[in-house]
Amino acid sequence: MVNEKDDSQRKKKESIVDLSKFLDKKVRVKFQGGREATGILKGYDQLLNLVLDGAIEHLRDAEDPTVIGDETRNLGLIVARGTAITVVAPSDGMEQIPNPFANADE
Amino acid sequence: LQLPLSLLRTAQNHPMLVELKNGETYNGHLQSCDTWMNIHLRDVIFTSKDGERFYKMPEVYVRGSTIKYLRIPETVVDMVKNEVQEVRRHQKDMHKQKKTYGGGGGGGGRGGQSNRGGRGGGSGGRGGGGRG
Repeated sequence: MVNEKDDSQRKKKESIVDLSKFLDKKVRVKFQGGREATGILKGYDQLLNLVLDGAIEHLRDAEDPTVIGDETRNLGLIVARGTAITVVAPSDGMEQIPNPFANADE
Repeated sequence: LQLPLSLLRTAQNHPMLVELKNGETYNGHLQSCDTWMNIHLRDVIFTSKDGERFYKMPEVYVRGSTIKYLRIPETVVDMVKNEVQEVRRHQKDMHKQKKTYGGGGGGGGRGGQSNRGGRGGGSGGRGGGGRG
């Protein structure tokens, strides 16, 4: 009886995303402070600490730090601290598209 | 009355827009969320801060602490009221069941303790016989 009540309140200690499907795949990770990196996910834990192999940091434009430019620097094998991670997405399947919103924002 | 997270939980499988503190926006269907507002979106369109670049991605995981706000379809707001009522009714039923079981369990427990005392004495005697 008690277990049912806990389930409705989500007693899960697991993460809501299953990172195992990203293992050995390229992922794009964004960090607090605006840094971005891509790398092959080699490992992870519940706290979202990640091990990325062959990691590449995508540097920001010198003129406009809010824009991610073309420059990169190689980081190699890294551990990314989960506390600083803001976004995780698979790098495969990510494609640039033209404006999908028909209405002009401006 | 935990309205914000209940609203989010109710909005699962619905499309929504998420704006992060860094100004980027993600449009996608909510796959799951947790108590820290971390969210997992599916079929996502990412719009850069300057509104110039757009990317399509199959899914993203976003840390709750980095969310500025979420835009949710109005239809979900109506659904929340019903769900909250149902959850309260369910909890009431659970409380009722708990009370009746608690009374019966207390009486059974007392009876069990007295039995254990008697059996303990009996097993001690048997043990002595085995050693001899």
